[in-house]
Amino acid sequence: MFLTRSEYDRGVNTFSPEGRLFQVEYAIEAIKLGSTAIGICTSEGVVLAVEKRITSPLMEPTTIEKIVEVEKHIACPVSGLMADSRTMVDRARLECQNHWFVYDEKMSVESVAQSVSNLAIRFGDSDEDGSAMSRPFGVAILFAGIDEKGPQLFHMDPSGTFVQFDAKAIGSGSEGAQQSLQEVYHKSMTLKEAINQVLTILKQVMEEKLNSFNVEVVTVTPEKKFHMFTKEEVEEALAQVVPLVKDDPLPSSSGSATKVK
Amino acid sequence: MEVLNSNFYGGKPTQLHFSPYEDNGGTVVAIAGKDFAIIGSDTRLSTGYSIESRNQTKLFQLSSKTVLGCTGCWCDALSLAHLMQARMQMYLHDHNKEMSSLAVGQMLSTVLYNRRFFPYYVSNILAGLDADGKGILHSYDPVGHCEKTYYVAGGSAGAFLQPLLDNQIGMKNQQNVERRPVSMERALNLVKDSFIAAAERDFYTGDGVHINIITKDGIREDRMVLRKD
Amino acid sequence: MSILSYNGGALVAMTGKDCVAIASDKRFGVQLQTLTTNCQKIFEMGPHLYLGMTGLATDVKTVQSKLKFRQNLYELREGRIMSPEVFTNMMANMLYERRFGPYFIEPIVAGLEPKTFKPFISVMDVLGATSVCKDFAVQGTCINQLFGMCESLWQPDLEPDALFEIISQAIVNAFDRDAGSGWGAVVHVIEKDKVTIKHLKTRMD
Repeated sequence: MFLTRSEYDRGVNTFSPEGRLFQVEYAIEAIKLGSTAIGICTSEGVVLAVEKRITSPLMEPTTIEKIVEVEKHIACPVSGLMADSRTMVDRARLECQNHWFVYDEKMSVESVAQSVSNLAIRFGDSDEDGSAMSRPFGVAILFAGIDEKGPQLFHMDPSGTFVQFDAKAIGSGSEGAQQSLQEVYHKSMTLKEAINQVLTILKQVMEEKLNSFNVEVVTVTPEKKFHMFTKEEVEEALAQVVPLVKDDPLPSSSGSATKVK
Repeated sequence: MEVLNSNFYGGKPTQLHFSPYEDNGGTVVAIAGKDFAIIGSDTRLSTGYSIESRNQTKLFQLSSKTVLGCTGCWCDALSLAHLMQARMQMYLHDHNKEMSSLAVGQMLSTVLYNRRFFPYYVSNILAGLDADGKGILHSYDPVGHCEKTYYVAGGSAGAFLQPLLDNQIGMKNQQNVERRPVSMERALNLVKDSFIAAAERDFYTGDGVHINIITKDGIREDRMVLRKD
Repeated sequence: MSILSYNGGALVAMTGKDCVAIASDKRFGVQLQTLTTNCQKIFEMGPHLYLGMTGLATDVKTVQSKLKFRQNLYELREGRIMSPEVFTNMMANMLYERRFGPYFIEPIVAGLEPKTFKPFISVMDVLGATSVCKDFAVQGTCINQLFGMCESLWQPDLEPDALFEIISQAIVNAFDRDAGSGWGAVVHVIEKDKVTIKHLKTRMD
């Protein structure tokens, strides 16, 4: 891919002769540096887990917020440039509130994804107010939520393309994690099972040892809507993970690919 | 000659007024039951003492289960109804679903309030079904105040008919009566009777009645003639 | 705000089978402020003759006194009681005398003709323009509401009990939708051999 690098990778307004927008492709590369986030959509709700990279023991882990609440019924795990993600999450929240104000109803998960997509593709725009971004957002984002169609999970990349998934991983460990998700996912998965799988896979692809400080777990269910696990709940969930790994070890190839980094 | 001269030279200055509003009259009555909503309008359109049309419905279908009734300034009513229809279409494209009657109710409120300082001079009544198929009504003032009700009369004969509905459907001032939901047949008869009464005393109401009956199976139309004087 | 709606009030009369009924509210207020809730607006002018007036309360009292004055002179001179029809004409005549400075009242006359006991109701404006009605007559600040109620509830040849129920429902539901009138109501049902006066309890707001 980088072999064709040329003058065309400078501006976001110019296609290369092969019909590519390099800055967008680079942005997609950039999100592969982000911390891993995994989501599984079950019939009982959506489970999300994100790795928090604690790079210094002096760091306050609770100030790293990787899964945000957009509305009571929608959660967004993000990976990539966190500062960029704030802009997108703000837009998602704004659109949700505006929808509530105008229509007195909850915004659907797909509509939220669509509205953030509209923002994401506005890079390089010469807007009158000059508020548009000069580059694509360096963020991969998942939209997990419950609406009248039931639990849903959407993934969006820096190009603004969004697609619905049953299970999706983003960030540095995404390749291996996605492989594992494909192997373990089945339609009749329970929420509890999904929590287990999400943590198991996260554990496989993380460099650090998984503990209650460096992971954030959220469920979105019809009963509790957005629910972020407390430290105790995470510990309880982690305790369930260990035996499962012993009984049913994942293929070694999936985990090792990322550990090379 | 003197008159001409006085206008142009040395005469008193005259101020001309432009009024952007017109009252074209008309009445809307709506009743909601447990599995239906009925909304009716008269079909007379008038300006002062002259009748512009004897066959102009004031009902606008917004979706398969929502109907809007507008009376007041007819040009504002048309403009508002078309704006609402456009907004419904936009919602359909944006969210891939038909707007619920409750959502239309809220949107109409915000659309009206957006013109807080140059309002649509219209009395609106919105009839529809909720998610469970139960009839619901919203009634509005011209700047978007919204009230959810089960029976309402609006427009030029609104004051004539509201106490009648209070009494016959709200069972107001009646003791020892069984309060049960109004049946479709009774609601329809009451709508027709109320228009006959209104046409008798309000000269902005008459000529005919156009009725929409909304159920989960769709919207059925009904018409009735009224006195034409 | 019109001077006719300064004190507020509601008034309605209906004909029935060999009977008439006349009803009014009991509020006396100054614009939006209610002062008393026992204001009399219907006056007994004869054995089968009742006069109801809404409008400016001070004029109501004055006109009532002046009419009684003229009626007494008539009855002494003629040696017979005044019929509702004659009373109506006398009142219209008296009101027109004040063509350019009218009494701000809205009257309804209701009664039974002497001897024949035929129901009679009439209504007039401030200047005395009269209309004799065969069905019902309404006056007051909730005239529209009353028209709507009467137009749909009234039917010919109502018996006294039915007439009472209908006139009561008409006035109570009408003035419940009006801020200028209400706070209790009084109904008179006038029959050949008796007059029934009933006071209605209503919502007081």
